[in-house]
Amino acid sequence: MTIATETKAKLPPSKHEFADVIHRLEAGGAMLPDTPENLMQIIGIYKAYAVPMDFYWRDLLYIAERVFLDPFPFFKYFIPKEYLELHNHYAGDDADLRIWRGEATAHPELLEFMEKGETLKMPKLLHHWLHDRVNMEFAEECMRAMLWHGKDMGWGQFDPYLDSEEYIANADKAIKAYFKYNPVMMALYKAFPDLFLEQCRQMSYYSNLGLFWEIMAPVFFEMSDIYDEGGFKGVPDAMNFLVNGIFAIAGRPIYHHVYIRGECYEIIPKSKGFMWLYEAALPYVEAVFYRTSPFRGTKSYNAQAKQVPDHQKDFHYGILYADVFPVGTAGIPPTLLMQDMLHFLPPYLVDYYHQHCRGEDDMLIQLGITFQRSMYCVTSAVIQALRTALLYPLDDPNPKHLQANRAFFEAQIDRFKRPEARLRNIQSHNYR
Amino acid sequence: MADIVDIAVSAGSFQTLVTAVKAAGLVDTLKSPGPFTVFAPTDDAFAKLPPGTIQTLVQNIPQLARILTFHVVSGKLMKADLAKLSSVISVEGSPIKIDCSDGFEVKNATVVAPDIEADNGVIHVIDTVILMG
Repeated sequence: MTIATETKAKLPPSKHEFADVIHRLEAGGAMLPDTPENLMQIIGIYKAYAVPMDFYWRDLLYIAERVFLDPFPFFKYFIPKEYLELHNHYAGDDADLRIWRGEATAHPELLEFMEKGETLKMPKLLHHWLHDRVNMEFAEECMRAMLWHGKDMGWGQFDPYLDSEEYIANADKAIKAYFKYNPVMMALYKAFPDLFLEQCRQMSYYSNLGLFWEIMAPVFFEMSDIYDEGGFKGVPDAMNFLVNGIFAIAGRPIYHHVYIRGECYEIIPKSKGFMWLYEAALPYVEAVFYRTSPFRGTKSYNAQAKQVPDHQKDFHYGILYADVFPVGTAGIPPTLLMQDMLHFLPPYLVDYYHQHCRGEDDMLIQLGITFQRSMYCVTSAVIQALRTALLYPLDDPNPKHLQANRAFFEAQIDRFKRPEARLRNIQSHNYR
Repeated sequence: MADIVDIAVSAGSFQTLVTAVKAAGLVDTLKSPGPFTVFAPTDDAFAKLPPGTIQTLVQNIPQLARILTFHVVSGKLMKADLAKLSSVISVEGSPIKIDCSDGFEVKNATVVAPDIEADNGVIHVIDTVILMG
């Protein structure tokens, strides 16, 4: 608390609409208020998110590295054993940096769910058709958001590289090798090379997101374990774990390798120096948490009436702005994610949802709102990490530096002034 | 006079930086005629980074090299030269903000010892590792 007192002593109170939140950030807190209820909710949902995420990253890498440009990728959601056993680089005994103390292979709860689903043990194909499975469509929507917004986010060197001569030459080698024995596809590639290159760029984003989530899954598992052991005393502790995690793995390489008939084609080699923080995490937060795109089926938009912004940078359809409501129809990515998380909720969170609103009937909405709270915590961690990396310590003795920190916090929070933003809602525990 | 690497080695307070430069294979570059301007973070500056940051970077040499080359600018720029500029472009490619209006600040780092001249450039010692963005 000394930090807060000192900060307040040096700077006059903020006049920002969300001054309370600014002061909380300046005292080392999160956008989400520090209450035991919030802590319980966000950790519980991290655990429920981490299990399907363990599927997402494995499948994203499988698609990027093996399925690649298959013109009929019917079985792209059927992860082979090899990828289920792929060792996560941040969990298990042989980790590069051990973040989760658990195992490096697919999570046991995931394997159990993949076998039985919500129904019963039956062939994979039936689970797939019945939609009784992990919904990769959500992961792919996130990937597309990154691809689509990649051009103008101003973060990292990944997207510009996709248009470079070097990338096109690397992709060309891989595409030609992939279709070596397929004269029809080869002829199509000759006729429409840009079409194939664009598909290849999309594959590079599959790899990017897969490598990003490979880290987030063990981070969330570890947070859940620490909480179960009584380790986090409040929301700021959980946020600081994320901040430290962001730094610890900032330098993890982001690349795209494709394996064709046993040979590895480095479309984006590790030697480019692309990093988890700049080329994956920051673009991900911008594209997925803030922007995404208006999801089909949730609401109708009239572009002529300016209901859709002219510029992509002004898009605001991410989880931080979402009006969480149940749709119940297929194909709507956020609903699919909620459905995925529903299967892996820790018991304390299920009990909690039973006590409120309509009990089990609206659990999808309640967990969606919990997820929104938890993503405000992750976004807070990103804001604090950026402040640490680019600005000054919260207890900096120089008032000019504190003013620079404040200007940064205020600029970040300005993005939540628009009416759709849920920052105001999450300040109250009654928003569920 | 000694070159940039020799000065950093003999100073004793840049052990992390020297280890990182060696690991990234940048010794030969920084011993070449250059000239270069190096913003050299002290051991204390590296120690301020959260745990694990350096470990991951040392495991991934191209990524480590990128962070290190962000601390290098081509040409020999003394404090007096930098005072006339608002930013310089690093060897990594991203800009580095310079502020000499009140002291001598390089992005969010403060220069604790400016203008240490070497055969092949100049070193400004900084108290924080600077990062792109």
